[in-house]
Amino acid sequence: MGKQTDFSGDTLDQLMASARAGDSAAYRRFLSEAAQRIRAMLARKIGADSELEDVVQECLIAIHAKRHTLDPGRPVAPWMYAIANYKLIDHWRRRGRSPIEFDDAADMAVAADTLASTDIETLLEKLPRAQADAIRMTHIEGLSNREAGERIGVGVSAMKLRVHRGMAQLKKIAEKDRI
Amino acid sequence: MNSTDSLIDQLAQDGAAPRPASLPRFVAPLALAMAICAIGIALVLEAPFIGMAINGPGPMLVKWGFSIALLLLSGFALWFIGRPGKATGATMATLAVPFILLAALLGADLAIGQRAFPGETWQRCLAAMAVMSPIAFGGAILAARWLAPTNLHRAGLVAGMFGGAAAMTAYSPHCPEHGMAYVAVFYCLPILTMAALGWLLGPRLLRW
Repeated sequence: MGKQTDFSGDTLDQLMASARAGDSAAYRRFLSEAAQRIRAMLARKIGADSELEDVVQECLIAIHAKRHTLDPGRPVAPWMYAIANYKLIDHWRRRGRSPIEFDDAADMAVAADTLASTDIETLLEKLPRAQADAIRMTHIEGLSNREAGERIGVGVSAMKLRVHRGMAQLKKIAEKDRI
Repeated sequence: MNSTDSLIDQLAQDGAAPRPASLPRFVAPLALAMAICAIGIALVLEAPFIGMAINGPGPMLVKWGFSIALLLLSGFALWFIGRPGKATGATMATLAVPFILLAALLGADLAIGQRAFPGETWQRCLAAMAVMSPIAFGGAILAARWLAPTNLHRAGLVAGMFGGAAAMTAYSPHCPEHGMAYVAVFYCLPILTMAALGWLLGPRLLRW
């Protein structure tokens, strides 16, 4: 077999080699391990964004569809992370063109107009934790998006997105409760 | 089971064996594009290699030496760039080698003496380059889409360079002109223009 079986010891390399030898269970484990590592990498870059899992899935589909571009015997990790980075940039590009617009003034006005007589903590518990934390920091503690992002290690855009989505969700919940 | 686990189950059913004939799938569009260029030129123009009877084999060897070297280098670079996780700076640098050698020949040619410029067939040359380069560029784009380029500008540029080199390889046997200034202006500039277009269009055409 020679050089093609000279693995680096990385689990991904071993699983891919077994998978390519026809072991379908190994391929499933490979994809699971890849998903974990990509999720961790993405979380460092975009935080626990609600779209994180979507990006992870896009990465897995790309890795599967383009698996013929991984040369046998070549380490999997650089190849996999290159694809994940490409998909992340593509995700940012698409989100940059998405119809979502951040309207900080409108987001700030919601609590006064809609939620004044409501127990805000009870409402926040109905949101995903990342969105609830974002709203607590920016609307209760009074931090800016940048300060809040720095506190938990995510970018300003990711923080804005969390606040925006959280506030939109709060509006829906509050209006539904009033009805 | 969450949706990612479901997806993994679906993907795992296909298995991990590399798709067969990966290299032929990449080479086929390139070869087809080359064949279209060569056949198209041969159908329209007559008397290939007539310039060799007039000027000897030197100019033809220089033109084909340049264009075939660029064709092979750009094809190889496209294959390399299409494999994620590889450093491609050195590969890109090798694409400059044919241009550097040609620049040296141009310097020597200009030092030796003046030649008639631009010659009598420059319009036909430009037309051939303008028509054939995009065809071969299309083949290179198809080939690159089979791979997974992560730097789309760079991959587009190389595809454009391949397109220009293919057009030059197909047309130059019908070109009676000689002189390095002619090659520089009527071959190199169109090739670099096609490469620049490829750089611009790469992100649109190669996204995956």
